[in-house]
Amino acid sequence: MRNLLHDMNPAMKFITVTIAMLGLAFFFNPWTPLLVFISILLMQFVFSSINWKLWTLYMFPFVLGAFGYLWTTIVFSAETGGTVIWSLFGHDVTDRQLALALSLSFRVLAFSSLSLLFALTTDPVKFVMSLMQQLKLSPKLAYGVLVGYQFLPVLRDEFFQIQQAHRLRGTAVEKYWWQRLLNIRRIIIPMLAGAVRKAERSAFAMEARGFTGEARKEFYQPVSIKPKDFALSAAILLLVILSSITGTVLSS
Amino acid sequence: MLKSWKLKEIVLMSLFGVVFGIVYLLFIHLGNIWAGLIGPIAYEWMFGIWFIVSIICMHIIRKPGAALIPETMAAIIEVMLGNAVGPRLILSGIVQGLGAEAAFAVTRYRHFNIFVFMLAGIGAAVFSFIYGYFVSGYAALDPSFVALMFTLRVLSGAIIAGIGGKYIGDALLATGSLRGYAIARTQPRDANA
Repeated sequence: MRNLLHDMNPAMKFITVTIAMLGLAFFFNPWTPLLVFISILLMQFVFSSINWKLWTLYMFPFVLGAFGYLWTTIVFSAETGGTVIWSLFGHDVTDRQLALALSLSFRVLAFSSLSLLFALTTDPVKFVMSLMQQLKLSPKLAYGVLVGYQFLPVLRDEFFQIQQAHRLRGTAVEKYWWQRLLNIRRIIIPMLAGAVRKAERSAFAMEARGFTGEARKEFYQPVSIKPKDFALSAAILLLVILSSITGTVLSS
Repeated sequence: MLKSWKLKEIVLMSLFGVVFGIVYLLFIHLGNIWAGLIGPIAYEWMFGIWFIVSIICMHIIRKPGAALIPETMAAIIEVMLGNAVGPRLILSGIVQGLGAEAAFAVTRYRHFNIFVFMLAGIGAAVFSFIYGYFVSGYAALDPSFVALMFTLRVLSGAIIAGIGGKYIGDALLATGSLRGYAIARTQPRDANA
């Protein structure tokens, strides 16, 4: 029960979540995204065993972003009708504006919860395997992405090495955080030059071991679609549809 | 389309996708903190950063698809790293890549100068704005505010992605590591090559 979402076919989960998000974009009432947010949260609570601390950490910047949406939409709203509910610095805020603003900021939250439903329950390598097997992504691209992904720790080490080398020679002034951010441009060129060489070496190594990149039917690690994948995907979409209907009814 | 591609070019795009995927994610989080203060317009002036990998890879490889594929790969890698923007990043990656690709397709993959790169940045900006208009519900905002956002994004696409992308590509060429790629086969100073 608690690993149902973890075991779901990644490509299917990806499509379901994307459809749910695109569907949400049609709703401009505050209830629909709020209900989606809550129901997806509940679903994740029941059907997955994720690290909720990590969830909070990932969610936090988006809560900030949602707040930005809230006030921008209030101040720069296209809608000016409706009854004034409160007045601030000579700017009248109407109930319709507030509803719209809440809708857009809840949308940010609903999107984030859907994304985290995907992100925290999906194994990255299995996701690419599934993209290749179910969605017919070319093996050349799929394995290319996997090579890049495997190089992640190496590239991270390299980043710190170059940074430290620069510090050692005293080329970089890093008193403030924005200076450290600007210094990325000095680190990125040597990193990319290294990446070019690594790409060349690993491509040769892959070809030397007989990798042709041709489409194939059989795989070493098959990722399959089972009936319960359809059930889960239907359940997620049903939650979104029910929230849309309830939201529209509640706000009319 | 992939037949004419060498594996080393694909792996190169993927590794660039990793490097820029991390940069992109970093800026998404920075942008969010910003956006809490000044709203969604916070992203607009730095939007060009998210288009840059298309332009760098096209500058280096110069084949049809060299703008679309790396942007999509970077998006897939961002999703693999895990974040709260999630799967929809892949869609926006494809949209942005198509925008940049369109500019190169219009010039028939013959011209790789600063103007075409800036045009590609603008293309990516326009495409991503249309997509964002729909997904983020910009229709709810005041048209003049949306126009300001659009202008900022186009400028950012042209300057950060177009000029910045060319600058990084040229700097990489100067390191001498790109000897096996299309960029090295042209005169580095010949703008119309």
